[in-house]
Amino acid sequence: MTYRTTLSRTWWLKHNAFKAYMLREATVLPLTFFILCLVSGVYCLWQGESQWNHWQTAMGQPWVLAVNLLAFFASLFHAWTFFQLFPRVMPIRMGHISVPANVLIAGQWAAVLSVMVLFSWLFWGKL
Amino acid sequence: MKTIHITRYLPESSEIPFVQQFDIPADDSTSVLDALNYIKEELDPSLSFRWSCRMAICGSCGLMVNGKPKLGCKTFLRDYQENITLQPLAHLPVERDLIVDMDVFLTHLEAVKPYLISDDSLSTEPNKQTPTQMAKYQQFSDCINCGLCYSACPQFGLNPEFLGPAAITLAHRYNLDSRDHGKAQRMPLLNTEEGAWSCTFVGFCSEVCPKKVDPAAAVNQSKVESAKDMIIQLFKGNL
Ligand code: SF4
Ligand code: FES
Repeated sequence: MTYRTTLSRTWWLKHNAFKAYMLREATVLPLTFFILCLVSGVYCLWQGESQWNHWQTAMGQPWVLAVNLLAFFASLFHAWTFFQLFPRVMPIRMGHISVPANVLIAGQWAAVLSVMVLFSWLFWGKL
Repeated sequence: MKTIHITRYLPESSEIPFVQQFDIPADDSTSVLDALNYIKEELDPSLSFRWSCRMAICGSCGLMVNGKPKLGCKTFLRDYQENITLQPLAHLPVERDLIVDMDVFLTHLEAVKPYLISDDSLSTEPNKQTPTQMAKYQQFSDCINCGLCYSACPQFGLNPEFLGPAAITLAHRYNLDSRDHGKAQRMPLLNTEEGAWSCTFVGFCSEVCPKKVDPAAAVNQSKVESAKDMIIQLFKGNL
């Protein structure tokens, strides 16, 4: 005869490691909101000028800006966790030496930075 | 003196586990396993727990210390405050006191064919392996089968059918071994929902592993291998 402990719905509150994991996974919520904004923007653009103007007004609302700002930081946080994990999931070896994790992490941030620079140049034409 | 609360289970007298408190004399060198042995010898001979090597090699003394999976022999009372709670390893059926039934764990280990599979079973030639080839899997071969990672894994807690960290790590360890030719036999199991794909990279397994095996890394490397394998099978028309 044996007994087995079962996981309750609040299992993730038991350890900080689990809370950090749930926080990482929860970044999907504000990001979903951002995607919805983006998709509705494309749809409104297709619908014509007045719809497009409506969408722009909606996007200017303080709470929409706030959630999108949250989405921005959430995506940076998620990227930070992802970049940490990447060297463990995709270790890269060159001949006899394995590329140190720090180099891989720095490389990914460098890529993020260059994408940001590229886009600011595309949108604003100056750096 | 430290106070230890142990979750006990004596199925012949009660079906319900209960907590018993013991006061233990402790100095800087007292491990949790020492404390358990002290209780068994001096206070209550009915207490049951597993141990063997008392030096983090055999992997038999796993238990929950203040809710975290630990090896009793590698955990010291000096690192804890006055009160310490000891419970059997989480997510596994408890047989008695701190003794869990490791059957599911062992079945999962066995299922991944954790041994070298050669192309030519008749060959008696020794295998050659360079240090670089060995470096690919060495870390993953340090596992002592203690099962702590299974107690740390919420996915295994929710679904015991999940192969789990150590078994997938072991499969990956052999898949990475230049002497092995059994990858094709292991992949179908790793490709399933109960294989590598149940993992959501909580990562707690690697945090609790006493041997720094980093099972979470092995499981997620296996996902990459599994994805590659499934694409290859798709092109071959096997899916
Ligand atoms: S991977 Fe680590 S925690 Fe899991 S069984 Fe092996 S040694 Fe124990
Ligand atoms: S007694 Fe062997 S690992 Fe602890």
